[in-house]
Amino acid sequence: MIATARIGLIGVCLALGLFFTLVSATGVIRLPDVFSRAHTASQADTLGAGFALAAVALTLGWDAATVKTVLLLVFIFVTNPTAAHAIARAAYEEGVEPWTTGDERR
Amino acid sequence: MAVDHAARLLVPVTQSVTLRPTVDYAIEQLLDRREGDAESAVHFVFVAPWRAGDPDATVDREQATDLLAQIETWAEYDLDSVDVDPEAVEITTAVIGEDDYLFSPADYVDLLSEYATQHELTNVVVDPEYSLTGQTTLLQPFEFELQQRDLTVEEAPVDRPTQRGRLLSRSSPVRFLTLFGVSFLFYQVLGGFSGLFDIVTGAATALIVALTLSSVSFYRDPTLQSSPRRLVRGVIYIPYLLYEIVVSNLVVARVILDPRVDIDPRLTKIQVYVGSGLPLTTLANSITLTPGTLTVTADDQELYVHSLVPFAREGLFDGSLERWVRFVFYGREAARFPTPRERGDTEVLQEATGVDATAQDGSVIADGGDESATANSSGERTVDDSDESATTDDTTDTEVTE
Repeated sequence: MIATARIGLIGVCLALGLFFTLVSATGVIRLPDVFSRAHTASQADTLGAGFALAAVALTLGWDAATVKTVLLLVFIFVTNPTAAHAIARAAYEEGVEPWTTGDERR
Repeated sequence: MAVDHAARLLVPVTQSVTLRPTVDYAIEQLLDRREGDAESAVHFVFVAPWRAGDPDATVDREQATDLLAQIETWAEYDLDSVDVDPEAVEITTAVIGEDDYLFSPADYVDLLSEYATQHELTNVVVDPEYSLTGQTTLLQPFEFELQQRDLTVEEAPVDRPTQRGRLLSRSSPVRFLTLFGVSFLFYQVLGGFSGLFDIVTGAATALIVALTLSSVSFYRDPTLQSSPRRLVRGVIYIPYLLYEIVVSNLVVARVILDPRVDIDPRLTKIQVYVGSGLPLTTLANSITLTPGTLTVTADDQELYVHSLVPFAREGLFDGSLERWVRFVFYGREAARFPTPRERGDTEVLQEATGVDATAQDGSVIADGGDESATANSSGERTVDDSDESATTDDTTDTEVTE
């Protein structure tokens, strides 16, 4: 009973992780400029990777390796915004003007 | 130093904190060495990091021109104050290198020495804070290369303000031990606490880490009272941050997947009060971590945040993340703090380029914490949104106020 619930939960986590990664990929294609794309690229890393790692942790159960998946998540949560910020700042300093409502689509 | 015909100086300049004293020094040198020699001249030269064809070159060129004008004023002021015949000294400013790609110090030096030869300049005075478009560490090779080309080089002996200590702070036993402990523990976690071998190698690794990095890893000494408290408050913050991430992820997911919902991105500026260093980094990264808001750049405590949808913008201006970061770092009292909206520290830097820009303006810059005003403005916005989807204006000039 508990085992079945766990497998179900793993499935849900994986599905959610896939969903948010898919949303993120769609966003990178749909959104107009580098700044708005940076928003959605961080989605894959936060909830996409988050749910995937949650599924991994559930699969492993109480194990030393589970701690590592949590650490992985922590590092992703530290590095992902730093990278997104670096890209956005580079674009800003290069003088890229953020797209805003009413602009032509590029 | 050569005294014979040395009264012709070349001073490469950029925007720097020691520019003013460098100009002073150059003028002083010029007057000292002028004895007898009628033709004395000083050339302040700005090496252009842009190319003539670059789209953004005009702004940079304007800044360079302003800088050079400022330098000329300073130099003239210096000459006036020592009561010298202004005709006897020739002050020239120039921008060079617009047609060249400059990569190494040697490229800069080639350009400068060519300029020096053209104008018969023999001595170079270098600002100690002079940087080759952001490459701050290259001053020594730069001076060396100049000397290779038969120019007399000297660094202006000015007092530079100590501003290098921001990243590199001193180490202390407490910092060393803390870093050693954390690294050692981390190593053991990765190794699964599996015995003597791990303990020995872990200790060696942690020692190397602590030796090399204890001077950059902290900006204040960790203490037994405050550091564990911060850690605990940080742990309390995590669930809230996750909640925020999930909520804004769903909002952004909807915007991306639903073709009927349009994005409404704006660059905004927000003044925050969390203290520099780690708190600011935490706040900026938390803002970026929640989809819909993205920290573009930080100017001290002024964050330039790009927001994708009005929902994210409202959340940002409500400042809950700011209050949480204040709570994590300074405790519960510090968290009782007016929102950025109440403080009037928010600013939207862009207008929609659509026709109803004035209506946009009122709805986006919400000032004052008035409930009815916010409710009103959000109602207004939904109307605007439906309008905007219909308006496709072909003017593309976006206004970015700075």
